[in-house]
Parts: sequence; C-alpha cells; structure tokens
Amino acid sequence: MTDPYKILGVSPTATDGEIKKAYHALVKKYHPDNYADNPLADLASEKMKEINEAYDTITKARSAQSSQQSTGGYSGYGTGSYQQSGYQQSGYQQSGYQGHSQFTQVRQYIHANQLDAAEALLSGMSPQNAEWYYLKGEIAYRRGWLDEARQCFQTAYSMEPGNGNYRVALSRVQGTYTPYRQVNYQNSDLDTACNICNTLLCLQCMCGGCGR
Amino acid sequence: MLSQPDADRYQAAYCGLCRDLGKRYGFAARFLVSYDMTFLYLLLAGQQPETVARPCACPARCGGKKRCVCDGEGYRNVSAASVILGWHKLEDNVRDSGVLRGLGYRLLRLPLRRAYRKARAELPAFDTLTRDRLERLHQLEQQNSPSLDATADAFADLVRGCAPAGSVQSARPMQMLLYHVGRYIYLTDALDDLAEDCAKGQYNPLRFRFRTQEGRLSQEDLDYLTQLLDSSVNLAGSALALLELEWGESLLENILYLGLPAVLAAVKAGSFRASDRPSFHQLKGRNRHDRSL
Repeated sequence: MTDPYKILGVSPTATDGEIKKAYHALVKKYHPDNYADNPLADLASEKMKEINEAYDTITKARSAQSSQQSTGGYSGYGTGSYQQSGYQQSGYQQSGYQGHSQFTQVRQYIHANQLDAAEALLSGMSPQNAEWYYLKGEIAYRRGWLDEARQCFQTAYSMEPGNGNYRVALSRVQGTYTPYRQVNYQNSDLDTACNICNTLLCLQCMCGGCGR
Repeated sequence: MLSQPDADRYQAAYCGLCRDLGKRYGFAARFLVSYDMTFLYLLLAGQQPETVARPCACPARCGGKKRCVCDGEGYRNVSAASVILGWHKLEDNVRDSGVLRGLGYRLLRLPLRRAYRKARAELPAFDTLTRDRLERLHQLEQQNSPSLDATADAFADLVRGCAPAGSVQSARPMQMLLYHVGRYIYLTDALDDLAEDCAKGQYNPLRFRFRTQEGRLSQEDLDYLTQLLDSSVNLAGSALALLELEWGESLLENILYLGLPAVLAAVKAGSFRASDRPSFHQLKGRNRHDRSL
C-alpha cells in the first residue's frame, strides 16, 4: 500500500486534528454524491476506498501507539460506510425497471462503459417508454453529448414526473446539480491593484479560448 | 482570480512553451505559442514534479530575459501538437481562400514545412486525428447539421486527442477533462460568431439548433446553452479532481471555474469580440467553425 500519509496529503508528524481535517476535505472532494452517475464514478469510488484505508491505517496505528485510545467519531467515515452508501445504490441501478431483462442488459453495458453495445441494444427495442429515454440519455451523457442527454432526460421526466431518478438526471444537465468544487483558489491576500492585474491576466489567459 | 504565484507559474509555462517551440522547430514556430497549449502543458506537467523556472532570453524583449520553464521532456508533445495544429490551420486557410489571399497563407506555410514534418514524425497519430476530425467537421457543416453535440464532438475529440496515452488511472479523467474543455470552447466560440454568421448566411450550429432573431438567441435558449456549458465545466472539474496532480491544481481550477465562465460572460455581453483575443487556439479549419487548440 502507498504511504497512507501521502494519500491523505499530510506529514507523518501531523497531529490527529490535522489528519482528521485532511481526511474530511478528501471525503468531501470525492464523496459519492459528487460522482453519482458520473462516467468516472468508478475511479472516484476507488479513490474513496484508498482514502478510507489510509485513514483507517493511520488511526489504528496511532491508537495502538497510544494504548487503547479510541478513534472516536471517525468510524462513520470508515471504508464500509461509504462503500455501502455510494455508487452501488445510485442512479439507474435503483430504477423501477430492473425486471426488464433488456433494460437490465443495457444498464450493465452502460455501467461497463460499453456505450456502443448499450446503444445498439437500446435501438432495437420497440417500446420507447420513459426508461428507454432515460437510458438513451445516460448513454449520451456518458459520451459528453449533453444536449441530447438533456432532451432524453426531459422526455423521460415528462413521461414519468414522479420518478426521482429522472428528475436527478435532468438536474445534472440543467446545471442545478453542483458537485463539490474546491474554491480555495479564489482566496487571495493580494491587494486590490494586484487583484485587478491578476483578473486581467486570468481573463487574457482564457480569452484566446475562443480565439479565431 | 489568480494568486500571484499561479500567475507567475502560468506566465513561465507560456514563455517556456515559446522557447521550446523555437528550440525544437525553429524561430517561426515560436509564433504558434498559444494559451490553450500552455493549459495542456500545465495539465500534463502537473503530474510530474514541478520544474523551476529560470530567466531565459526573450526575442520579443530584444534579448531581455523572462522567467521560463525549461522542461524539455514535458514540452515535447505539447510543442509537436502546437505545430501540427498550426500547420493544419494554414492548410485549411490555403484551401478556403482565393488566389491572392491564399498566396499569403502559402508563404506563411513555407517556414513551417520542415517543422511540420518533424512534428508529424513525433506525433503521427495526432496528425491523422486532426485531419480526420477537421474533415468530419467540414462534412457536418456541409450538411448544415443542427446537432450541437455532433459538431462540438468533432472538435472536442480533437482536443481530447492531445492527451498522450498515460496510465489507465489518469487517462480517462484526462480525456474527459479535455473533451469537455474542447466542447466548451467550441460552443462558446459558436455563440461569439453567431451574429456575424447569421448576417453572412454562414454555418453556425447554434443557428440551426435554435431559433435566432437578428443573430441573437432568445434568453431562454441562451440560458439553456449556458446550462449545457455549466454541465461541461462540472464534468471537467470532476475529472480534474481525479488527476493525480503534484502541483498546479489551483491554477487549473481557476481556468475551469473562473476563466471559462468569464469568457462566456464576456461573449454574452458582447464585449469579447472587440478585444484583441490572444489565441487559445491557433487552428481555424477550413470552415467557419473549425475550432482548434
């Protein structure tokens, strides 16, 4: 296993409080809610597992050193907790259409990132109900085709307004779903004049982004 | 807002790219330096220990010195990609221009010919990808495609192709990040050009996707487009968080979360076109909406 302190981004001489703070920051960053139905959810899940293991290793080692001292309220962040409440139960896996074998197969393809296979199977299915549009939207979303994804999610939601999964999926592409963002880059102790210069530089850096 | 260390870091990376282009591909290639490729460098170099910048002679300062990152290996692919994209821009301009105007582009191409051959030998797959995606974009334009996704995909796929094959762990986040940045750039640029394209009757994906009035989108459509772009930023940000970066994360986050939306806001306000836009892209393909890094 990689150095657990390195995983948490702290020094081996860090205090328990510093470790806890670093751990909480990482949990917030890679929390399953931030990656629900994200094409990279599996990688975030692995990262979360790694962080939990590192934290468990450190707390266990420290508690052994301090002879029987309890790790207190940290256990809620343990490996089991997040693994059970995260990606495994989210999104399309909770759908009420699990009984439909073809839809289940499409979901499996999507989950395995086999989007062409999922699309081919979906295209051959005749009842284009809400679930069909939802899954088509999921395929488009994972491809980054967000306009198509939004239209499909919108159709699915219109057909079944009571379905929470469709509502969440739609909110993802409506911009109302906002995952964790690190905002510390906005902090600056520069003086006003310097801030203005930096704003201009930042803008200049990006202006070319649409340069013709 | 960039902190001073991040601003310095960005500047040094930009100057370092210019220096590396000159060193590898000759003086003319220095003109292909761009902000977008600097972003790519920061993204790739962030996975390695940071190279400390040092003062280097700057031709634009007549021998004066500027702080440059001298990271030969780190710039290798980025410089080659810059040359390939720059070359294809000129190629397309030659193809699309009349005899007189085309002559200018032909002349500009001359000093870059050797550089392009060298860069192509360095990244043959990327050269092929660039050619293919520009051709796909051209075809979609000829069909007056109303699909935002299909047209943006051709360009975003090209941007994604800039990422070299890395570890499995980092490859997917990197590709997704670049894809959505490319998509954002393409659609923002299309919005910026909409009025002009409508006036000239030229292709613009937004023109065929939405209803326009006097070259403008309705507020509802503009909000819709903004939400799509916000979603791209969110996805790119979630990918960035999964990259194992040793440095520069705050700078890249700044570009994603503040820089890109700032450009979009300027485009929507109509204040962006008037500015002298330093090219985040060098390549303009043969068509109005061939975008490039």
